[in-house]
Amino acid sequence: MKRKIYLSLCAACALVLVTVATGASTPGLTSSEILIGGTTPLSGPASAYQSVAKGAAAYFRYVNSKGGVNKRKIKYVYKDDGYDPSKTADRTRELVQQDKVFAIFNSLGTEHNLATRAYLNALKIPQLFVASGATTFGKDSKQYPWTIGYQPNYRAEGTIYGRYIAKTSPKARIGVLYQDDDYGKDLMAGLRNGLGKKAKLIVSKQGYDVTDPDVKSQVAKLKAAKVNTLMLFATPKFAIQSFVYASNLGWRPKAYVNAVSSAANIMGLATVAAGKKQTEGALSIVFLKDPTDTVWKKDAGVKLYRSIMKKFKGGNPNDVYAVYGMSVAHTFVAALKKAGKNPTRASIMRAATSLNVKNDPFLLPGMSVGTSGSDHFPLDQAKLQRYHAGHWVSFGGLFRVR
Amino acid sequence: MRRRALGIGLWLLLAALVLTVYVIAPRFVSDFHSRDLAQAGVFFIAIVGLNILTGYTGQISLGHGALMAVGGYTTAALAVHEHWRDVWTIPLAGLAAGIVGFLIGLPALRLSGIYLALATFAFAVAMPSLLRKFSGLTGGGQGLRLLEQAPLQVTGLSGTVTIFGHSLTQNHFLYYLTWAIGLVGFVIAWLILRGRLGRTFRAVRDSEVAAASAGVDLARAKTLAFAISGVYAGVAGALLAIQDEIVNPLSFSFLLSILLLVGAVVGGLGSLPGMVVGAFFVQYLPDLSTRVSSAPGVPDFVYGAAIIIVMILLPSGVGGLLGRLAEPLTTRLYTRP
Amino acid sequence: MLLAFDWTQLAQQIVIGLASGGVWATLAVALVLIYRSTGVVNFAQGEMAMFSTFIAWSLVDHGLSYWAAFLLTVAISFVGGVAIERAVIRPVERAPVLTVVIVTLGLFFLVNGAARWLWSPETRSLPNAFSTRPIEVAGVAFSIQDLGTIGVSLGAVALLWAFFRFTKLGLASRAAAVNPDASRLLGVRVSWMLALGWGLAAALGAVSGMLTAPALASFDQNLMQPVLLYAFAGAVLGGLDSPFGAVVGTLLLGVLINLVGTYVDWVGTSLRLPFALAVILGVLLVRPEGLFGHASARRV
Repeated sequence: MKRKIYLSLCAACALVLVTVATGASTPGLTSSEILIGGTTPLSGPASAYQSVAKGAAAYFRYVNSKGGVNKRKIKYVYKDDGYDPSKTADRTRELVQQDKVFAIFNSLGTEHNLATRAYLNALKIPQLFVASGATTFGKDSKQYPWTIGYQPNYRAEGTIYGRYIAKTSPKARIGVLYQDDDYGKDLMAGLRNGLGKKAKLIVSKQGYDVTDPDVKSQVAKLKAAKVNTLMLFATPKFAIQSFVYASNLGWRPKAYVNAVSSAANIMGLATVAAGKKQTEGALSIVFLKDPTDTVWKKDAGVKLYRSIMKKFKGGNPNDVYAVYGMSVAHTFVAALKKAGKNPTRASIMRAATSLNVKNDPFLLPGMSVGTSGSDHFPLDQAKLQRYHAGHWVSFGGLFRVR
Repeated sequence: MRRRALGIGLWLLLAALVLTVYVIAPRFVSDFHSRDLAQAGVFFIAIVGLNILTGYTGQISLGHGALMAVGGYTTAALAVHEHWRDVWTIPLAGLAAGIVGFLIGLPALRLSGIYLALATFAFAVAMPSLLRKFSGLTGGGQGLRLLEQAPLQVTGLSGTVTIFGHSLTQNHFLYYLTWAIGLVGFVIAWLILRGRLGRTFRAVRDSEVAAASAGVDLARAKTLAFAISGVYAGVAGALLAIQDEIVNPLSFSFLLSILLLVGAVVGGLGSLPGMVVGAFFVQYLPDLSTRVSSAPGVPDFVYGAAIIIVMILLPSGVGGLLGRLAEPLTTRLYTRP
Repeated sequence: MLLAFDWTQLAQQIVIGLASGGVWATLAVALVLIYRSTGVVNFAQGEMAMFSTFIAWSLVDHGLSYWAAFLLTVAISFVGGVAIERAVIRPVERAPVLTVVIVTLGLFFLVNGAARWLWSPETRSLPNAFSTRPIEVAGVAFSIQDLGTIGVSLGAVALLWAFFRFTKLGLASRAAAVNPDASRLLGVRVSWMLALGWGLAAALGAVSGMLTAPALASFDQNLMQPVLLYAFAGAVLGGLDSPFGAVVGTLLLGVLINLVGTYVDWVGTSLRLPFALAVILGVLLVRPEGLFGHASARRV
């Protein structure tokens, strides 16, 4: 494996020499503008996640309205890949070869970013703040030094749940409903990791495929296994179903909802359909301020978020994915500032891997965006939150997990 | 006699024109757009194969995209696991898909029309799940990524490719490779279809009962048509894998099979030249639709409307139109006064 | 050994399978309706049903009760179905079958795009038609909603059957499908019979969507895509020219997928659907016209 990487890097050097030989000045950079680009699913099954790009775009427009960064305006272009990794590869090549962007930023999807990682690293183009919770984007930074993720990774999330259960409910009977792909499996691996010696508390694992019509049968099996602690490592559609089907079966386990499905509007739908008692007490992690949570009504960060969304047409302000977009855009701006008056691709990469941002208004109070040579996970903190009377209420301290 | 010479002369002129366009086209578009043209070439090869099956033999297939998957994954798996050079895998990819095509063709012996459509549809729907399941071979949900896992097998990794002393950019190389294979495939299809096998296929399409009573071995004809179309799909899939440098189950969903069928019908079933138009339709229309507006849903709306309008205006596809336009010329050349 | 087998679990999984299948049944009947009259599978049937579901949601959002919105949506969808047939299918009436199929594929994209444009892509929900309170019989749990869904599907088929059998319009419609030329001679407006068929299918699709959305607890623009797949497979299993077969086929498919998932371990999560499709294929090879379909004599 190492030899393959070594050889590929050598082959990549040839590619770099060609680029250098053509006498390239830094692409995507002029004295008044910096051009960055990414891919996002504007169409197809995952199109609900496009607000990640739209929120970021609105934030950049806001920053530009205040003069930009070092007198440069940030131009952010995002292209549709329809959630198809081969289109992602195609569009990314277009951004690099045709549009000549300075860096790739905020592209969404695990397989999608994996598809372009080797290409971008070979060309030494920053693949910044990948919108995916897969651990590999931070873990494999030695082989792919030009790639960095952003959100707390899935494995870390699962670990937080595992540790919490081991500490507070050492006799629980855990059942897991998981999506049968890397995302679900990553969460599972984290859960086992966090439980440690208590991993045998997991009494039932039921997987589902995205092509499955519903998860009725899985929920029935989990109930039959006498599970009292239900881990929902599932996307929103199936998480809502789980609450509803459990309620239909007269079963009320304690539920842990993974972050992807914990948005307030999703929980709201589940509560309406399954009843208040079913979702009461559910647990999840949180690292962003959810704009629909009244606890943040007077918060300066959320007010800023709403005003930007309104003034710069960011889309639906109740969409927590847009908050994510703004947070990652805020971090990019911090990295750009740190990269110097005349940033290069190398200097912004150095900045992105030595961040220490404590003032992100969209993250929970006390959270910081931190990276270093040995830590390529910008966000590795989260709080636990409990669903109570229709709101998420965070409690306890900030967990830090790697 | 003179008429015949005139006919041959016109064909040679047409061939020369096509070859000239083929050779100089990249000069008129940016380097990156040569890659787009190359991808259009992939669709062209695939729908020529689909046309042989559906247009000429009358067997509906909603599983052509899955056959492309077989070809694409054969290429990627050979490159990653067996360290084959990417371009040398193409014949084997075609063969693998041809075999699978043949196997798909077996139910066709019992089923027809919409029931055959379901069988091929089932295959297309099952393909992504099958690809995810056998992850040791296919890389599962993450697929296979040639740049990461088999960089030495990728032609043009350094950005340029040298052939016969000429140096080409990787994008140009992909264009020339794909369309060279496309043109050869076109000629082969033309030769097959105009010969005895072609007549057999058309007989099966027009009336199976009549064909059978005329002594046609229906089983052999149908499975052969499936196999041949499979080879074309496999080669197309291999070229797609080489161009994208990745294969992933998400890229070979049922949607691909639908797009290929749309391309074949818009191009004109039963018309080989129309397939060029069909290929460009499938390649460029989604992009053009996005240009109309990128507001959510509008590109799909425009795309769907375009398909409907084309079908209403040209129910036999572009090929039908070409046939009618060329009629005065062909009647003059090929019929006695 | 027989006693050690968990019969309750089996019964539960069968009931769950029937409930899942019941959700697809109405869409399957819609597909059969159009297939019988035109020989075309309407690939846009699911998207049209999804669009109707969004209309229903908007009506409920504006204050209508569920059943009022239900009836109004069915009526609107009927008109919509007729309009689509007149605008888009009629021009290609005489074209080859595959051309019409491609038109329905174009409709698929068009209707989906329209729904994404008119309503944002966030997840929504439709209120339940029936109570979801669990009822337990001999250890097997189900809800009125499950029964109601199957009941509505069967009721729709029954209504349809009655319409075709006992009304003059229904008779004309059947005649037009079986022998258009002779029917024309008898004064039947064949073209309008097709439009009627599309209208009824669209109405059925609307019912399907409005039952599916609550059964799946939430919906968005992707609601009906998997359902179309299952409805198509179930309809083919039952025989594409039999509405009753469509209902039986989808119920059987639901049970099959569930039992396979529960008891056949090596099939695993991701191969459940392909396995079910393989079984259908197996059935077709033995009985090419489906369980309740009619073998068609082929004209030479």
